Amino acid sequence: MSTISRRETLTWMSAALASPWVVGAAEPAFAQGDTGLWKEVEIAPITASGYGSDPNLLKPSVPWPLTLTGAQRATLRIAADLMLPADERSDSGSALGLDAFIDEWVSAPYPDQQRDRKLILSGLAWLDAESNARFGHGFAAATDSERRAIFDLVAFKANVQPGYGRPAFFFSRLRGLMLGGFFSRPEGMKDIGYMGNTPSTSYAGPTAAALAHLNAALAKLDIKTV
Amino acid sequence: MPKSKAAASFEPDVVVVGSGAAGGMAAYALTRAGIKTLVLEAGRDYDPVAETAMFKWNHEAPLRASSTPEKHFGFYDATANGGWDVPGEPYTNAPGSVFRWWRSRMLGGRTNHWGRHVPRFGPYDFKSHSRDGLGMDWPISYDDVAPYYDRTEKLIGVYGTNAGLENHPDSSPGVLHTPPKPRVTELMIKAGANALGIPCVPSRYAVLTKPIDHPHAPRQACFYATPCGRGCAIGAAFQSTTSLLPMAMGTGKARIITNAMVSRIVTGPDGKATGVEYIGKDGSRHFVKARAVVLAASACESARLLLNSKDGGLANSSGQVGKNLMDTTGTNVTGHIPALENRPRYNEDGAEMAHLYIPWWLYKEQAAGKLDFPRGYHYEIGGRFGQPGAGLGMGGNEDGYGQSLKEDARRYYGAQLGFTVRGEMIPNADSYCELDSQVKDKFGLPVLRFHWKWSQHEIRQIAHGMQTAKEIIERLGGKVVGPLLPPEQAIAVGGWIIHEVGTTRMGSSAADSVTDGFGRTWDVDNLVVVDGGVFTTNAHKNPTLTIMALAWRSMDHLADRMRKNEI
Repeated sequence: MSTISRRETLTWMSAALASPWVVGAAEPAFAQGDTGLWKEVEIAPITASGYGSDPNLLKPSVPWPLTLTGAQRATLRIAADLMLPADERSDSGSALGLDAFIDEWVSAPYPDQQRDRKLILSGLAWLDAESNARFGHGFAAATDSERRAIFDLVAFKANVQPGYGRPAFFFSRLRGLMLGGFFSRPEGMKDIGYMGNTPSTSYAGPTAAALAHLNAALAKLDIKTV
Repeated sequence: MPKSKAAASFEPDVVVVGSGAAGGMAAYALTRAGIKTLVLEAGRDYDPVAETAMFKWNHEAPLRASSTPEKHFGFYDATANGGWDVPGEPYTNAPGSVFRWWRSRMLGGRTNHWGRHVPRFGPYDFKSHSRDGLGMDWPISYDDVAPYYDRTEKLIGVYGTNAGLENHPDSSPGVLHTPPKPRVTELMIKAGANALGIPCVPSRYAVLTKPIDHPHAPRQACFYATPCGRGCAIGAAFQSTTSLLPMAMGTGKARIITNAMVSRIVTGPDGKATGVEYIGKDGSRHFVKARAVVLAASACESARLLLNSKDGGLANSSGQVGKNLMDTTGTNVTGHIPALENRPRYNEDGAEMAHLYIPWWLYKEQAAGKLDFPRGYHYEIGGRFGQPGAGLGMGGNEDGYGQSLKEDARRYYGAQLGFTVRGEMIPNADSYCELDSQVKDKFGLPVLRFHWKWSQHEIRQIAHGMQTAKEIIERLGGKVVGPLLPPEQAIAVGGWIIHEVGTTRMGSSAADSVTDGFGRTWDVDNLVVVDGGVFTTNAHKNPTLTIMALAWRSMDHLADRMRKNEI
């Protein structure tokens, strides 16, 4: 049973999850297959306590210890900067603390996060294995173009290299988490243009520009404008 | 919630089991009639003013406030000590059945976090057997309830409009608050739906858009920020704890005891209820004497209490206690709309939930036998620039990495439309709850065992809802995100929509129902059920408004009988 909530799906934040109540939903077909460099890591389960069913909501805190090694965090910082590099609108993934977020995530004691833990730790090991096999050194020691060559094996849905199903599944999950982790931070929200969570005495509704954009779209679809 | 220190020595006329929508309304209506009322709540005390996580950001919470098995609707959800699983209070499923039971263990119950979508049942919904021969008619009609719909809407505060649609009754003038302006995504759905002949109108939510003044329960107007599911410290979004309960307490006629798990309704030699027994947090047992007992513990919890009160079940001469269990059908369809990519930004929080919705519109086609399913559904619609959390929601367009990924995130943000199907289920013989013969909870009380099966009525309805959503999405030039699963898989499991009702249904005869039209059990004259258990049918319209309207009506009836010393 997935723990995605009904009202969470109502807000359409997790738009791709068509049917979260399907018990034991299968992994996507592309997630299968590997070249032999992928190893599912053997890890002891997280035994720390969660925050309980009645945490203090006004003073949120993460009660479980972080578990990633310095090397894993370093790999995540490199991956975060490749995934979401700095540009004129916002800083890079590592600057926004994505390695800490992923550490918090995979160190959590809950079933979904424990599944991600196995996938992501296996994936971080695969980055090193792939780099060693191709370039004779680990991912952290690789050059920027070597790292990109590895990402390019798995990053593009229409062009996942044969035998890279498991690594591609890892990459997809890491990307999803990094996107959420990045754009939920204040700088990320500013970049993407989230303007809410601020009180007002009346709700202004769409701006003139937003309405004009909508009406132009409707006109193109040959639908009566609003 | 201020509670009198004297609660333990208080001698009530009526004891109410539960403090949510039904229990809060019962306490309000009874105390208003001058009746001394004791409310027993199984969960802890809860103060939304002090405890609600108003304005807290997702990034401040563990896991970006994602849902977990300890907080199923996310970290900031108001629910305390509740959810799909309550520690120490299990339930079981019969082999082959999947039913999920959401409970809340806190003052105010599920009203602290509920969806607050409050359409009225219409005339057809009370007499649907007469229309299509399925299920059973209610013993009451829309006209019996209409005045209580008006009063309830006015009391709790509802925004919306009178759309004048078939079987979607208007409210009386002056009742509704002005709804907020629609968002771009909603306007687009409306345009696409209208182009296909499908209506899309302002939705009705129990959220104030103007303040309500009350000496004991002053409530502010919505300030269009912070999700309602967290609860509402300013009282704009209705919950029992900022409205009904303080109003009841303000009369001086009410007392509340929390951490009081009612274990048994006690009856005397004449078969009448003499009061209830409850178990305190420390395991101590207490008896509360009362002239009447009101059950408002939620449909399944009240049925369980009746079944646990007597061998074979109290008030169960019909054998209907626990039977006729219904939920609402549900599924989601999401569309990605290229025309919405890179659209101009503005604040789309609004009053949290959808400002427009699509009500059921095919009554005539249904009556003419043109559809292959008998009962309707509605869509709760969505799509917005929401506050990002652990998932961004790019409509399945996540691809690649680097600068292009960053630009894609900006491009696809807010470019999805959502269609949440909510449909009517017809009661069937395979969907019910009973006592589990083996499993007991931490109080030593037998737990519920659920049996569940959807019929083809619901499966075909969901298929229609998915197909029609797809047509609207495609009319808007969009594509459905992900595969459209077969309806048997796409339909949410039983209980998932948290509209479970019917387990103590009202009817016209003691032979096939548990209560009469005032929720009074046929077998025990001074025992009244006011929660969703009394629903004879479960129209696709979210049940809580009807629960409250019926509770008020039944409590007025009880108060009248008590005044006449019939009890």
